[in-house]
Amino acid sequence: MPDATAPERSAVLTEEQALQLIAFLTSAAEISIHEPTYYGTFRLTDAASRLIGFMLEHDPPRTGAFLRKLKTELDTKKVWMMWDREAYFDFLRATPAQVAVEVKRLADEDRASRSGAES
Amino acid sequence: MSQASVADIVFEVIKSRRVSRVFTGEPVADESLAKLVNAARWASSAGNRHVHKFFITRDPRKIALVRSFSPGLLSEPPALIFVLTDHEVAARERLQDGDDANVVDVGTAAQNMMTMAQALGLGTCPVTSFSKSGVGAVLGLPPSLTPELMLMVGHPRPVERVLGANAPRPVTAKELTYWEEAGKHEPA
Repeated sequence: MPDATAPERSAVLTEEQALQLIAFLTSAAEISIHEPTYYGTFRLTDAASRLIGFMLEHDPPRTGAFLRKLKTELDTKKVWMMWDREAYFDFLRATPAQVAVEVKRLADEDRASRSGAES
Repeated sequence: MSQASVADIVFEVIKSRRVSRVFTGEPVADESLAKLVNAARWASSAGNRHVHKFFITRDPRKIALVRSFSPGLLSEPPALIFVLTDHEVAARERLQDGDDANVVDVGTAAQNMMTMAQALGLGTCPVTSFSKSGVGAVLGLPPSLTPELMLMVGHPRPVERVLGANAPRPVTAKELTYWEEAGKHEPA
C-alpha cells in the first residue's frame, strides 16, 4: 500500500480534473489533424498551463511557488504565437530548462531526505 | 441620417472590433444575445437555404464542460453561441459534403454577430478549434446537428497586449488588394 503522506505521492489532481485534461488532450489531438502544425506547440503549452491550474487548486507545498510563476509566464507568452512567432519559439526553447531546474531541485531534496533517513 | 453618415458609423463599428478572450463576470442580457442571433439570421445564406441553427448557452457548468473539449476556447465566457449545421435541412436542400458555401454561410453569420456585438459594446471571439463530437455530446445535440463554430460573448475586460520587437505590423487594404491584375495594387 503506497504511503499517501509521502511528498512524492501527494494528490495533485482529482479524478474529474484528470478527465478534463484527458478531454482537452484528446480534442487537441483530433483538431491537430487539420490545424497548422505549429498550433500543436500551443496546444501542449496550454495543456501544461491547464494542468498547473488544476495542481494549484491543491496547493502543492513543494512546487506551488514555481508552478504559479510558470503558469503566469505560460499564459502570458503562449499567445505570442499569434503576433510574434519568433519570440514565442524562443520562449518554447527556453522553458524546459526552467522546468529542469525545478525537477532537479526536487530530486536533490528527495535524495538529501533519503540519505538523512538512512543515516 | 445621410447614407454617408451611416457608412461612417458602420465602418467605425467594423474597424474598432477586436477579438476579446477575457471578460468581466457581468452576464450578457438575453435581449442582447437575441439581437446577435437575429443579426446572424440576416446574414447572406447561399441559395436562401438557411441550413444553420444557433444554440445559446449561459450555463457556467455547460461552458466549463465545453471548454474541456475546446482547445481554442482560452477562457470561459459568460455566454457561448454555436452555429450548427442542420443536416436534415442540408439533406432536404441537397447540400453536398464539402460545399464551400456552407463554410461561407457560417462565416457570414459569425461576422454579423461580431459586428452587432461590437455595436452593443460586447466583446466576441470566434472559435473553431474544438472537437465537434465532444462538444456535440456535451451540448446533448442530436446527430442531425453539428457544431461548426462557437462565438464567445461577454463584456470585454481590457487586456494590455505586449508586442515584441518582431511583431508584424498591421496589413493595409491596399496590400491585400489587386486591381484588375494580380500584383497591381492601384486602380489606375
